[in-house]
Formats: sequence, structure tokens, C-alpha cells
Amino acid sequence: MIGYLIQRLLTVAGILVVMSLLVFGITQVMPGSVAHMILGEFATNDQIAALEQTLGLNDPWHVQYWRWASGFLVGDFGQSLTMQRPIAPLILDALGRSAALAGLSFGFVAVIGLWLGILGAVKAGRFTDHALAIGQYFFIAVPEFFWCIVLIMLFATTLGWLPATGYAPMSDGFWRWLSHMVLPVGTLVTGLIAHVSRLTRSAMLEVLQSTYVSAARAKGLPERTVLWRHALPNALLPAITVLAVDVGILFGGIVVVEVVFAYPGLGRMIVYAIENKDLPLMQAGVLIVTAIYTMANLVADLLYAWANPRIRYGRSVA
Amino acid sequence: MSAPAGQDQGGAPLLDVHGLTVEYATGRGNLRAVDGASFAIAPGRALGIVGESGSGKSTVAMTLLDLLGPEAGMSAERFTFEGEDLLDPVAARRKALRGHRIAMVFQDPGSALNPAIQVGRQIAEPLIRHRGMTQTQAAARVQELLAEVGIPRPADVAAAYPHQLSGGMKQRALIATALGCEPRLMVLDEPTTALDVTIEAQILDLLEQLRGKHDLSILFVSHNLGVIERVCDDVCVLYAGRVVEQGAAAQVFAAPAHPYTRGLLGSLPRPSAQRLSRLTPIPGRLPDLTRAPAGCIFAERCEHAEAGCGKPQEPRALADGRTVRCWKAEAIAAGAPPTQAMAEAPPDAGPAAAGAPGTTDAGALIAVDAVGKTFRLGGMLAGLRFDFSGGFPLRTDPPKVRAVDGVSLRVRPGEVVGLVGESGCGKSTLGRLILRLIEPSDGRIAIDGHDVTGASVAALRPVRRLAQMVFQNPDSSLNPRQTIGQIVRRPLELFGIARGAEAQAKVVELLGMVRLAPEYAQRYPHQLSGGEKQRVSIARALATSPKFIVLDEATSALDVSVQAAILNLLADLRDRLGVAYLLISHDLSVIAHLADRVAVMYRGAVVEEGPSAQVLAPPYHPYTEALLSAVPVVGLKDRAAQRVRLKGALIGGGAVRGCRFADRCPRRIGPICDTETPPVVEPAPGHRIACHLPLEALRAVPPVFGAAAPHA
Ligand code: SF4
Ligand code: SF4
Repeated sequence: MIGYLIQRLLTVAGILVVMSLLVFGITQVMPGSVAHMILGEFATNDQIAALEQTLGLNDPWHVQYWRWASGFLVGDFGQSLTMQRPIAPLILDALGRSAALAGLSFGFVAVIGLWLGILGAVKAGRFTDHALAIGQYFFIAVPEFFWCIVLIMLFATTLGWLPATGYAPMSDGFWRWLSHMVLPVGTLVTGLIAHVSRLTRSAMLEVLQSTYVSAARAKGLPERTVLWRHALPNALLPAITVLAVDVGILFGGIVVVEVVFAYPGLGRMIVYAIENKDLPLMQAGVLIVTAIYTMANLVADLLYAWANPRIRYGRSVA
Repeated sequence: MSAPAGQDQGGAPLLDVHGLTVEYATGRGNLRAVDGASFAIAPGRALGIVGESGSGKSTVAMTLLDLLGPEAGMSAERFTFEGEDLLDPVAARRKALRGHRIAMVFQDPGSALNPAIQVGRQIAEPLIRHRGMTQTQAAARVQELLAEVGIPRPADVAAAYPHQLSGGMKQRALIATALGCEPRLMVLDEPTTALDVTIEAQILDLLEQLRGKHDLSILFVSHNLGVIERVCDDVCVLYAGRVVEQGAAAQVFAAPAHPYTRGLLGSLPRPSAQRLSRLTPIPGRLPDLTRAPAGCIFAERCEHAEAGCGKPQEPRALADGRTVRCWKAEAIAAGAPPTQAMAEAPPDAGPAAAGAPGTTDAGALIAVDAVGKTFRLGGMLAGLRFDFSGGFPLRTDPPKVRAVDGVSLRVRPGEVVGLVGESGCGKSTLGRLILRLIEPSDGRIAIDGHDVTGASVAALRPVRRLAQMVFQNPDSSLNPRQTIGQIVRRPLELFGIARGAEAQAKVVELLGMVRLAPEYAQRYPHQLSGGEKQRVSIARALATSPKFIVLDEATSALDVSVQAAILNLLADLRDRLGVAYLLISHDLSVIAHLADRVAVMYRGAVVEEGPSAQVLAPPYHPYTEALLSAVPVVGLKDRAAQRVRLKGALIGGGAVRGCRFADRCPRRIGPICDTETPPVVEPAPGHRIACHLPLEALRAVPPVFGAAAPHA
């Protein structure tokens, strides 16, 4: 298990190094230099040259990369070009708000998705299952931005129950905060819940047809025990892997949702940085997202290994 | 049915089922999986339900505890257990019996235990549920139960997860689970089918012992007639969902009265009688159970069928107490039993039985010399070990398995060499090594004089034409998207043997060789039965006119009646085309039936080899003796007294010191077996045994198949 953990951590570190090189490389090939962007379009060539000198932009690329990357290791993400402020606190704030969005959504997806999946499997072939299937396919097929628009039109414009866009900090009161969360979270989770519940259903169905479930029934255990103790833990193993993949989908969805709902999170900040050619901000944002995504996968892998006795206990007894 | 077999002995039956019918609604109408089955089990008796796939035997077992899904429609005229009527309301009553009054053991121990729960907790569940024990009480009882089913170190096993146990241990744990609440009836659904014969023998011994001790009644479901005969007092033969013959096991097996029972027995290859005349397979296939014929269900395949068989056949009691579903039963039972018809054949028929030893290189088609194969386990980083005892903490030490360890073997043209051993002994690996499907780690392999050991892909091409392979599972070796014609044609084109119309004609010819009509060329694999698919695999292997075919468990997945036809076919092809086979099988009966010479493998090496007649009679290698003793053979139940039993299971891998069989050998001499590599003795030219025991001692061992064996 320790060997496995070290092996996985090494992989994660490797991925992060490669990603940072990629992100760094983008700035090298993008048109226009950073100095040009800072000084604006009326700068003279001399001014630009001088600034490039002070910023170290004439150093070889690996020196520049190291300066940038080592900054990350100590929490110094550099300066935002457009906002003239250190990036680290900016990102931290935005990250907190995005995390609230992502965490809430992920919680809903995991709980409701798994539950609906189990329900579908237990009622397989009956009305509940068919009704669920129709809903699931519908929500999988329709893209997120469609729900953004529908939800805004219905709850904000027509009914006026919820704010259409924006964000309110918790300090403004819990309900105010929550009212700003409902629509973005609602938009994010529909498709994912459908996806997770579909996959959980098939995993659960397979487990329910296994011999050990028949064997558990033959022991005279009540159906409740058979379901929760014998079937579910085995069905959850594949579900864990699916949830890890869905974290990636969730991140993509968050960018869209934050932009549409004008939600001041990390996704919107990255889009802002790209639009305004704020390279340091963009680099930092993308790298943070990558790091989080890799960590999420790591956690899923470890969870899988921990939940699977085959990995946890390898040696044979008899 | 007037008197079910179990009722004659000992008063009221424990379980009494009359007119049991199970139906499934399908798109093409109602499928009757079980049709009016009646049987009874008296207290302390064992009833066997025997049948081939599709007979409905497992369905019957599952019905008893209502384990079939809601889609199965079940009805019965009478259904009582310990006098209690279970018909009303049927499911709830039967559910209430689960796990304490009726317990069940399933076929595949690997999948019947929940992989996510510790074995001990799984055994404890019924105790807690039905006996109201606390966790601690149950845990103590689990240890007792595990000890009772012969598990050493019960505490370790209770704490283990299923994947940490061998198949035999898992099945013992499942039997312990079933025993826990001291049920009156134990239902066993093919409990030993997934196990090796030596482990099967251990489990059957265990059942025998438990049955006597706990006064258990048993319902034993199996396709294996030998196992049924060993365990059961009474037997029900099921065909297409109907009980066609029923009675005392001894009677039914000695003088079968229904043509189907006779067919089953006639299909059975026996290790006691090798290379006999042909087996008598049952032609045709199972009727479509959604449109069952009105008359006798077996009529389509029955050699005794005549006009009178068009009437519905009801179970009929014969004078000797049996019930048979055939109006001609008396006349048929009076005929010669199929077993004796076979024994008349000369014992050492076949070209090679009297032949020279297969060691000389002269004329050898396949020459394998000291071939070995070591597998590295796991992925690239699997060997990483973290060792903090000093120096650099990382070491790599990939776990290795020595699957084949210095095997030498000869196969001469037209010769059938049987390769037998338990799973994990390396026999399949050896077959693949010979065809260079995997690379040998050491040693030398020559096919028809060409050294193929280091040959390049291009150099192998002509050899590939000479040597082909047929696998166990035709479903995975036939491409489901190609027609049979395309499948058989592919090697013709690949090797540039024939094209266009010529290839077309060749395909028809090849299909003819395996007795398939030309129309089959247009069909797809899923439209064929298991036996037909395996014929296609053989036709494909024959396409290049090979001199040598490796048959890797090629008949193991088939029912006996179908297997018999394939074995006959293989024998014919050998005689007609002079093809040599390496026949790899775990089934000694199959090997004995077809092989001229036999090699017995254990833990990667051949421990005994020689002409079949000599290997199957003393002097034996102790392992061969144990294997032969373990096989349940119909009609040889009485040899139980002289059986030797192996303890434990084959543990593969690791380096071997001394005799590789030493840890399980029932005739182990002493420390010499652990330290010295056993010498090879030759009791007769070409018959070699690797054992420390003196030849006289080996010769003194009585034959496993008693005086009845033709080579005693
Ligand atoms: S009734 Fe006729 S067809 Fe049926 S088994 Fe008897 S002899 Fe054969
Ligand atoms: S050498 Fe010893 S352990 Fe090996 S088979 Fe012979 S008697 Fe048994």
C-alpha cells in the first residue's frame, strides 16, 4: 500500500511538471510580449526593451521557467498585469467561491446520483426504472448552457424568486448567499446526476445478478441487508472511478456556469485573464485547476484501492 | 407418479415436490424450463439431479428457496417440506426456510463469496440472523465450523477476504456457512464443477462425512454422472425440463431404461478403458422449449423412436420401482447396458500403443528439449520494494513464476500425446510455448525439424502452417462478426493456399470434414450450438493441412453428449489425415480415451510419461495415482476403499528443491524427497517416472481401477 501511494504521488508530480511546462510554453508562443502589454500600445521600443530587461524576459527560457515555477512552490504567483495586484490572494478568493460551487454540486451529484442509480437497479424493468431512464437520457443529452438560460428565464425573469446573476458572500447572510447558489448549482448538477445515476444503475444491476447476492439471499438475509451490505459496496467501486472522471466534466461546466451567471469564481477569472491577455493570471489559474484535477483523481484512486480488498490485502492465506 | 423414489425408504419424505413447473415469458411465447418435475427426498437421503446444460436442473434447485427472479412463473401440485405445505403463499413460505432449514451451496465458489466482506463475517451472517447470536458468539461458532469442514488455521481464514483463499478453501467456507444453522436439507448446485479433481475428491469426502454426522439430506445437482453416483442414493435424470428417469442411483446407472440416460452413459469417456471403440454421442440438439413437441420430448434424438412415441409420455413406474418417461422402457432396459458394449473393444488398439519410446529424435514431429518459461508478474513498477534497512531504499525484485520448468517432450507424426494435470500445472503454457505463441525463457523447440526457438516471425510462417491450435472457448476464438465461411477461409488466404472459387470449394470440403453441412458457411457463430462452434474451430485449424494440432481443453466446455461427438471426430481425423495432437486436458477420461501417450504435469514439470496403457496402470507416479483415484468414474464406485487422497492444493510459482510433489505426496519417503531431485526410473521402455521410490515399491501399488481395469 505504501509502495502504491509513493508510486501514485510520483505520477502526480510528473503530471504537474509537464502541465506547468505546457502552460509556460503557451506564454512563450503567444503574440506580443508581456512588456508590451504592460506599457500599452503607445510605448516606445526603448521603454519596452528596458522593461523586458528588468522583468528578465531576455533570459533563456529555462531560467525564466525556473523563476516562475519556483515562485509557485513558495506561494508567489506573481503580479496580475491588469489588476496590478499580487495574484495569490486574488486566486485564493476566487478559488474559495468556486470551491463552494463545486463542493455543493459534487455533493448533490454523489448523493442523488448514487441514490437514483440504486433505485433504478432495484426497480429494474418496472415503471420507476423506465421513468428514470427517460429523465436521465434527456438530461444527459441537453447541454448545460441550455439549462442556464431556461433556469434564468423561469426563476429570475418570470417568477423573480432568485437573482439572475452575481454572488453574495456568506457575511451578507446565509439565505442571500444560498439564493445566489441555487441556479448555478442546479445547472451544473442535472447532467452529472443523470450520468452518475445511469452508471451506478448498471454497476448495481450487474452486482445484483452475481452469485454472491443469490448466496446472500439463500442465507435468509432480509432484502435490505442483501442490498446495502452485499450489493452496494461492490457496486460503489466502479462508481468511484466514474465520479473521478466527472470531476473533470464538472470543472468544464463550472467555467461555463460562472461566466453565464457572472459568478466571481476561478473559471470566470481565467476567462477574464485570457480576454485581457493577463498572462501571469492565466498561467496561475490554469495550473491551479490542473493541480486540483490531478489531486481529485489521486483521491479517487486511493479511495478505490482502500475500498477494494484485493488491493488492500494482497497476500493469500490458504 | 405413484411412488417417488425417496418415499420407499423411511416414512414421510422430508421434501416432497409434485408437478413442479417453471415458465418464463419470452418474445416467442412461454418457455417451459421445468415441466411437471416430481421428486421426493427422505430424511438422510441424497437425491441427485443430473442433466446437461438446458435441462433445467439448476432452475429446480433455485426454486426450492425461491431464488429465481420475479420473471419466473412457478407452480406445483404439491410442495411440502417437513410436512409443511409451502404452496400457499408459496414464495413467502419458502423464503422463510432460507439459510436455516434449507441451505444452499453454489457452483462457483469464486463468485459465491462476496469479495468485499471478510469470510468469517459472511459465515456468521445466518447465525446472527437465525440463531440470534451476538457477534462474538457467532465468531466463536465460525471457528468451530471452519475447523469442522477441515480448514487449517480457522482464525486466519475467518479474517481473510475471499480472494486470499484457494477455490477448495472457498468451497469449504461456503459449506461451513450452509452448515451453520444445522439445516435439514442441503442443496448443492454443481458444487465441485469449478474445482480440480483432487480438490473435488476432498470436497466429496467432506460431504460424505458431514452427511453421516449431521443426518443431512442432500439435493445434489450436477452434470457429472460419476460425481452423482458417488454422492447420491437416488437420481433424477432431467432432459429439457422433464424428469425422464428416476430411481435408485445404482439401478439407473447399471441398467438405464430411458434412451437419454443410456445416451449419456454411452457418451462418457472413461479413464479405466482407454482408446476403446467409439463413444456413442447423442445426435441433434435440445428442442426449442417454447414450442415443445406434443409427444416424447426426446423423440427427435432417440434411436428407438417409432410411431407410438408421438403420444405424450407420462412418467411410468417400472416393476423395479423406477419411474421412466418412455413407453418402451422395459424393452430398452433389457438391452445390453452401454457400458459393457464399450468394454468389448481390444484394450490396446491404436498405432502407437505398442510403439517405440518417444524419446529418440528420429522421426519426431515436435521435439521439445528442456523448455522453461518464467513469467514476471505485475506491471512496470510492480517490482518496486521499499526497503529502509540501509542504503538506497528502492530495490526492484519483480515477482516471478516458473510456469514451465525444463520440460522435454516428443510428439511423432500421427501420434496423440495427452497432457494432463491440475490447473496451474503449466500444461496450457507448454502448449502455447510449443506453437511459439509465447517465447520460451530457455530450452529448445523444433517443429518438423525446424528449430523455432529463436525464429523470426517470417521464419515462423511456414511452421505456423504445420502447427495449429484449437482453444477451449469457441465463443472467444471465433469472430462474431464473420460468417463461418469467412472464418474458415481466412487461413486459406493468409497462407496463400487457395483463393476465389477454389477457396470456396475448400471451405465446403473442410466443413464436410467436421461433419457440418455446406449451408453453415453462411451462418454466424451465434447461430451455432457450442459443439458446432467447436467443429468450426477444428475446421479452421485443419485449413492449412497441418501435421500437428494443439487441443487446449477443446472439449471441456461441452456437454458430455456433444463432447463424445467431438472426440469421435478428432479420432477420425487423426486416423484419416494422420494429424498429431497435443491433447491438453484436466480430464483424465478424455485423455485416456484419445491419447496414445500421456504426460502428467505437476508444478511446471512432467512427473510421469509413457504409453497410455502403462501410465494408467501401476507402476504409477504417486501423483498420477492420486489423480486417477480422484476421478469419479461411473460403475467403479466400489474402489472407494483403496483411494488415496491429496491434501491441500497445488501451489505454483517459486523455485523447487527436491521433489516438486513432496508437500502433497501421500507416499512421501522422508527428507530425501525435500532435498534431492528425484531420479527418473524407466519401468518399461518409454515409460518414465520421476520418483525416489524404488521401482518395486511403485509396482506393488494396486491398480486404481481394480481388477476390472483392462491393464491390471
Ligand atoms: S418414447 Fe420413444 S422417442 Fe421417447 S424415449 Fe421412448 S423410445 Fe425414445
Ligand atoms: S519423490 Fe518422494 S515426494 Fe516425490 S513423488 Fe516420489 S515419494 Fe512422493
